[in-house]
Amino acid sequence: MTERLELFFSFRSPYSYLAGPRAFALPERFDVDLVFRGVIPMAMRGQSVPKAKRLHTLRDVKREAVRLGVPFGRIHDPIGAGAMRCLLVGEHAVDAGREREFVLAASRGIWAEAIDVSRDPGLREVCERAGLSWPDCAAALEDSALLGRVEANTRALAGLGHWGVPVFVLGDELFWGQDRIEDLETALRDAGLERR
Amino acid sequence: MSEARASRGRLSPADALARRVIPRAVVALSQLDGAARLGAAARRRLHRPGRVELYFAFDDPCSAVAVIDLAGRVAGRDVALLPRPVVRRGIAGDPAVELKRSYAVADARRLAARSGLALSRDVPIAPGATAFLAEWTASAPPGPALVSFCVQALERLWLRTGGPVVPADYAPLWRAALGDRPATAATRGVRRNERRMRRRGPYDTPAAWVHGQWFFAHDRPAQIAHRLDQLGWTAAS
Repeated sequence: MTERLELFFSFRSPYSYLAGPRAFALPERFDVDLVFRGVIPMAMRGQSVPKAKRLHTLRDVKREAVRLGVPFGRIHDPIGAGAMRCLLVGEHAVDAGREREFVLAASRGIWAEAIDVSRDPGLREVCERAGLSWPDCAAALEDSALLGRVEANTRALAGLGHWGVPVFVLGDELFWGQDRIEDLETALRDAGLERR
Repeated sequence: MSEARASRGRLSPADALARRVIPRAVVALSQLDGAARLGAAARRRLHRPGRVELYFAFDDPCSAVAVIDLAGRVAGRDVALLPRPVVRRGIAGDPAVELKRSYAVADARRLAARSGLALSRDVPIAPGATAFLAEWTASAPPGPALVSFCVQALERLWLRTGGPVVPADYAPLWRAALGDRPATAATRGVRRNERRMRRRGPYDTPAAWVHGQWFFAHDRPAQIAHRLDQLGWTAAS
């Protein structure tokens, strides 16, 4: 039996970026249906992020990126239009069955290649890397139904009593943080969902 | 859909600074570690131990996991583990404080399970209920006996008991480790630790400061050990 595993993800979260490759690889090893749920960044939801936390996040993510062998450091912060545009295209990518490709390409572009996704050339580049048609992605940016889904995802995260990302939801269990994927894997194994 | 409208024109200097230059500079500067390594080498030549300042809270179950784990990882190295208990911490005005306190219990349960340990509590403890333990600890000189008390008190608090926290239950642990009566109403040391923690950078517990870098101690125990290895304080040192 395949279990539903939800991934709440923000394009503005470097920890989400670190989690992405391992998160999308989970269905290869476990009987799970990974459901991508992009959420509006904390700082765009009226939650302040103090300077000490912002500085620590960048330094800690760099250490973790080195440990995981993931490129990080050539950054273009997408807060605002960049984050919203990725969220809308992310929902379109879900409909096109290419969310893995888009989420990984866009987050790598933002956190490791300094791609400005708030502008058409930058967003187009990551869309095309993900195998998505640019005209379709451009149309997604004007699609109010996709915006409704992003807002619903954001409300759903708050409804779970959670605040940050990435968050994984398996049944009634929540796992917050890229460094809790190993605990999630333990839970998946304990539930008998590991592929043999 | 206005928030999704494409940016046009050149990136303004202020935007370029905030979105590209500063984040990239912070990351690049974090890779410069020469001063810490030179300092560590000098300390070792002078036969002085390495230092791990551990900021933690007795009411925080993730602190319990971190203190117990780090005490073991530091043992066998020429490193002084300096317990710095705090009571007040976190992000000012954080609307999710209570949610985080509840989630911390679930999170600590999983972290403890990684080491074969099991939490004995299902609900958070109010910070004020364990403030006396922070005051006792902050008033004592650092050293292995103090670390031993912290480990035993946290094991009793989070791994062996439930219900109310009573000072009389912890006084025998204190006397066994430190052989004296604990200080009472010693809030100054706790406030000093809280100020020192903010100066070092951490805004929440558990956090370990290791010669110029800090880590959330429950999230990064292996990385803390790796940092000590890099600085030359290996398990064989």
